[in-house]
Amino acid sequence: MKQNFSLFDGASLLIAFLTVLFLTASVCTIVIGGLPFLSAAFRSAEVLFSIRLSLITSTISTLLCFLVGIPCAYALARCRMPLRNLCRLILELPLSLPYLVLGLCLLMMFSSDVGKMLKSFGIRVIFEPAGIVMAQWMVNIPFVIRLMRTALEELDGRLEFIAGTLGASRWQRFLTITLPLCRNSILMAAILTWSRAIGEFGATLMLVGVTRMKTETLPASIYLNISTGDNGMAMASAIILLAISGIALLLSTLLHRRTASRMEGASPS
Amino acid sequence: MIPLAFDQFCLTRGNMHITNVSFALQEQEIFAILGRTGAGKTLLLESAAGFYAPEQGQVLLYGTPVQSIPLTERRIGFMYQDYALFPHMTVEANVAYGLRVRRVPEKEQKTLVEAIAGILGIEHILKQYPQTLSGGERQRVALARALILKPRLLLLDEPFSSLDPATKKRLYEELEDIPRKFNCAVLFVTHDFHEARRLASRIGIMANGSMLCIRSAEHLFETSGNTELNAFLGLENT
Repeated sequence: MKQNFSLFDGASLLIAFLTVLFLTASVCTIVIGGLPFLSAAFRSAEVLFSIRLSLITSTISTLLCFLVGIPCAYALARCRMPLRNLCRLILELPLSLPYLVLGLCLLMMFSSDVGKMLKSFGIRVIFEPAGIVMAQWMVNIPFVIRLMRTALEELDGRLEFIAGTLGASRWQRFLTITLPLCRNSILMAAILTWSRAIGEFGATLMLVGVTRMKTETLPASIYLNISTGDNGMAMASAIILLAISGIALLLSTLLHRRTASRMEGASPS
Repeated sequence: MIPLAFDQFCLTRGNMHITNVSFALQEQEIFAILGRTGAGKTLLLESAAGFYAPEQGQVLLYGTPVQSIPLTERRIGFMYQDYALFPHMTVEANVAYGLRVRRVPEKEQKTLVEAIAGILGIEHILKQYPQTLSGGERQRVALARALILKPRLLLLDEPFSSLDPATKKRLYEELEDIPRKFNCAVLFVTHDFHEARRLASRIGIMANGSMLCIRSAEHLFETSGNTELNAFLGLENT
């Protein structure tokens, strides 16, 4: 069917293309400026340290997010939870809080007597690499809970009921029906969470500061290099971060497509 | 013993109110609940499985309130209109699911699956996934999954609604044999008069959440003084 090209369509297209142009230009500035320094960055012990620290902390914090986030989401989506709405609000509130505020909350909590007691048990968070994991976890946990809750709510609850009538206990239903059917959603959420963790800076800055070769993650490395006027190395670190985020986004998009096509295949004929 | 009994059962879910429903199934009986869409048939069927707790009255499964029996020990087979097969499992895994979670030895699982697949004619699709099956095949897989555990009661929600006439006819014959072959009672929901009459010995007619009457299949189309019932059955009011 032939469609008329309206002024509204034209304006929308123009705004969309201008936005694409602006975002491309800003990313290209970094890429073009940082490429000559990229090989030096990969030879720099400091950058390599920051890549390693970022990869390790983001992987641990992502695992911890899912270890806590899936049971929380299950409780919200499937259980008769007292004060469900209030709990949901509290669990998802950090989504709308600035990361600096989240970092400040953690800093105040771990500076308190409780924090000092934890420190006496060997749990050191402030100005320590463990604090990076804590900050990334705090920033991402509401995000994981929201994604997992949505995935569980979209899952056909009748399948779990049928499994129950066939003799499956709650655990068996969760392990054999719920988890496998949410597998792609979990993978997609894990990639996005990991990618967000690797780029986290605000809460980390508040809790552990930026100490060279100690709490220096990739974003911290960019910050340190800019602070000392080494723009080339900062842009090279930014390219590495961009590449990691780009790959994560690509993987998540591919998984999303796979899930969508699987769902189409599963729909009744 | 009575497999299933509704006693003065009342329930409200959203806009649907089920009021004062009472009836009981006999051993090896096929009982149909007949009614228009939105009459409350599926809600009543799910209540029979203990999905919802009654607001008043009770649902008894072999003399015990269904809600007081753990879901895993109710020994009911439930089949939804769209069959609700597990999409991530093969037909074989779907059928064997109940045996697997009950930790039946694998060799015995295989024997039982093959036996029921033979009875329902699904041996050739055991390695396939539900998405690749026709409506009739899905229905037989769902039946096999429910029957393999030898349930005392089989609950079926519009089991033939999405099937073509030829498949329907073949599966009618299979359903007729189920109570005798598997020693269970069957409660099924339908909006099709002829289906209810063909398969069930007794038929409960529902409208607006109430059971208007329970009739034997032979007397389904008898005129009564109830104008709503006569209108539903397409009979002239006297």
